Amino acid sequence: MHLTPTTLTRFVARRCLQAVPLLLVVSTLVFLLIHAAPGGPLAIYLANPNVRPEDIERLRRALGLDRPLWEQYWSWLWAFVRGDWGYSFSDGRPVVARIVERVPATLELVGVSLACALALTMPAGILAAVRRGRWFDRVTTIASITGISLPAFWFGLLLQMIFAVGLGWLPSSGRATPGEGDVVDHLQHLLLPTAVLAIVLASGWSRYLRGSMLETLSLPFIVSARARGLTERRVVLRHALRNALGPLIALVTVDAALLVSGAVVTESVFAWPGLGSLFTEALARRDYTVLMALLMLSASAVVAFNIVADFAHALVDPRVPVS
Amino acid sequence: MALALVVAAGSPACGRRAGARGPSNDLLIVGYDREPDTLNRFSTHILEDIQSCIVEGLTTTDEQMRVIPLLASEVPTIENGGVRLRGDGGMDVVWKLRPGVTWHDGAPFTSADVQFTVEAINGPDYNPESTDGFDRISAVDTPDPLTAVVHYKEIYAPYDIQFIRGALPKHVLQGRDIDRAQDYNRNPLGTGPYHVVDWRSGEYILLERAAHYWRGDEFPKIRRLLFKFIPNTNTRINQLKNGEVHVVALAPWDKYREIAGIPSIVVARTRGNAYEHVTLNERQFPPFEDVRVRRALISALDRERYTQTILDGLAPVADGPIQPVSWAYTDRIARYGFDPGKARALLDQAGWKAGADGIRVRDGQRLAFTLITQAGYAIRESVAQAIEHELRDVGVDVKVQLHDGTALSAIWFEGRFDAMLHWWQMPSDPELTTFFAADRTPPAGRNINYFHDEALTRLLYASDRTVDRAERKALLERAQAIIADAVPEIPLYSVTRLDAVPATLVNFKGNPTNTGIFWNVHEWTIK
Repeated sequence: MHLTPTTLTRFVARRCLQAVPLLLVVSTLVFLLIHAAPGGPLAIYLANPNVRPEDIERLRRALGLDRPLWEQYWSWLWAFVRGDWGYSFSDGRPVVARIVERVPATLELVGVSLACALALTMPAGILAAVRRGRWFDRVTTIASITGISLPAFWFGLLLQMIFAVGLGWLPSSGRATPGEGDVVDHLQHLLLPTAVLAIVLASGWSRYLRGSMLETLSLPFIVSARARGLTERRVVLRHALRNALGPLIALVTVDAALLVSGAVVTESVFAWPGLGSLFTEALARRDYTVLMALLMLSASAVVAFNIVADFAHALVDPRVPVS
Repeated sequence: MALALVVAAGSPACGRRAGARGPSNDLLIVGYDREPDTLNRFSTHILEDIQSCIVEGLTTTDEQMRVIPLLASEVPTIENGGVRLRGDGGMDVVWKLRPGVTWHDGAPFTSADVQFTVEAINGPDYNPESTDGFDRISAVDTPDPLTAVVHYKEIYAPYDIQFIRGALPKHVLQGRDIDRAQDYNRNPLGTGPYHVVDWRSGEYILLERAAHYWRGDEFPKIRRLLFKFIPNTNTRINQLKNGEVHVVALAPWDKYREIAGIPSIVVARTRGNAYEHVTLNERQFPPFEDVRVRRALISALDRERYTQTILDGLAPVADGPIQPVSWAYTDRIARYGFDPGKARALLDQAGWKAGADGIRVRDGQRLAFTLITQAGYAIRESVAQAIEHELRDVGVDVKVQLHDGTALSAIWFEGRFDAMLHWWQMPSDPELTTFFAADRTPPAGRNINYFHDEALTRLLYASDRTVDRAERKALLERAQAIIADAVPEIPLYSVTRLDAVPATLVNFKGNPTNTGIFWNVHEWTIK
């Protein structure tokens, strides 16, 4: 279908409407799940012997945890859709404020990492497919399988040991040296967590792109393009790549959607003050209001990025309908 | 990417990065495992290290856990006339405040602040972490700005640490919703050596020397303290190695050798007031009701070996809930050495005979239980495995089960476990009632052994209602003897506190309690 502003608006509107019941179901499931996890926001108080049962009861009432579960859910949902995300059970600040202050760090880390990962993926995936079975293909195969197999926390600590502790070239963690964060200092802090995310992502993506390219390169229209005397460069980049990109876009957008709501492991290892760190902290303290907001954001991001992915796929491949 | 790393990182200097600076009297950086929820000392449920640099108590506890005056000019006692027992069973405590102390904004610190604190905590509009002790106060009189007379409805033995968390500034918080007073909760007004300059969520809190500290302008010696939040233990240790942090408070035991190997760092050991032990839940697993079984279990464990091997000699064996650092401690109690022969004999006497698979059986029931503990603590997991192995040797089947910390709290509070390996961080006051009195099983207290002993219960309540130190000590010594005889739980070791600090740091003293290591931060200096 040809893309016009009208079809685009209809497409987005329809997909957004479809997302509403989906998000509603997700919110119910997530609410039930986090309440089913053993221990609640008050469990953390129990280790202190001075916190007595009457204190626990008082705090439970103050947080509204003494009400039936359905009532808690309903009042959360009603407030949430009206934009009132409540207060953090942990520090009493508005949930929105706690989330907003973490967004820039996550966007910065994830944005740079996605760009780097794509910059690695494109040449590696394409060249490996074009030079199938030759040394470049073999080397990138080994490298990407290694990258896929590396647990992010272990890889992060390894890079810290080498570049921070061993060589002393880079700071081991954090976003900037407190009080002295100039641009160079900032970039130095960004380098190791970006390396972890970008390498792990590019390892998977480049394998995917290679497979997709190989499949396309064997199709008849490529053979005919070559027969028409087009240069190999043009055949690969203009004809094959365009067809092979569709599945990769779907993969990249799903990964990006998950990362935008926080690169949980990498942020935790590198003490990166983003949404991932906030999620880890909120989970450990069973900070229900913050957890709900983060998980709903995450679900919404997946939905939104999927819409973008479908649209982008249609753009690069005219055979894909947006309807 | 790897090439980019090398080029970008190495090109500026081809040497070590200049960003990491050593500790100095200008800046000391503390690597901290978690971010505080709030800096309001009455609301937080996280360790009060950062808060204690800003907000001071009327008293504090020193490195030997003695209660010493801070904003009070002396600790009230019966001897100095500061504590008066009333005929109606209540008591009055007269707090004389230190003259010349001001809040950081210049307003004088007075008895009205003490009175306001009690009223706010007992009032309906504020939700502090605990109202323990405050709810026994009927009124506070303020005959003059430097005297606060606290009237208790009943005798309250730990009165001397009632205001260890300080006071709320009346002129800032009166008439306000303290739970939502973020200006105060994020940047509290205190009287202490430091004030907050910057709090970046997820990153750090920066404190700077307060102007005109009451001890004199020469204090504190170190100008700025930076608390960096680094939840990952390995990352925290890497920062210490790299010089990006200078202090790691509460260093994990399994990292002791790694940290002790850093040349610029010393690991300070402070005798602890916490003790690791195995709780035996008599309600959930009735065989624990038999004292012979409990004595058999403790005799089957080679606790000395745990401390020497798994704990690397860092912690001494504990014999009861009160540790040697406490004034109430006594060593005149029953002790149990490693004696598997005795353990087997005791179990035989109790009617538990070895079954076909070597596990003991009585009336068709196997002597088999589950031991729960917190996941992620290498030391604890190793101790749990050692217990499992040694108890199997005497015919007891133990299955170890790991849970995350929050889940574990809920499980023990509901009493849904057979046995649990954990520790209690005991308050500086040696109150044992909540842990051992018969009527203090959850939800009324922390008696999660579900242990029932009338004589012990009477003794413990009597000790709570005794202010005279010698008399109270005698009562608590008898209580410790009963506990040691009855073995309601298996004490394993006394928890030594490890803090990694710069070798050049002078006047670091440590602290065994939740008061934390920063209680004397005003006199710390880098030589």
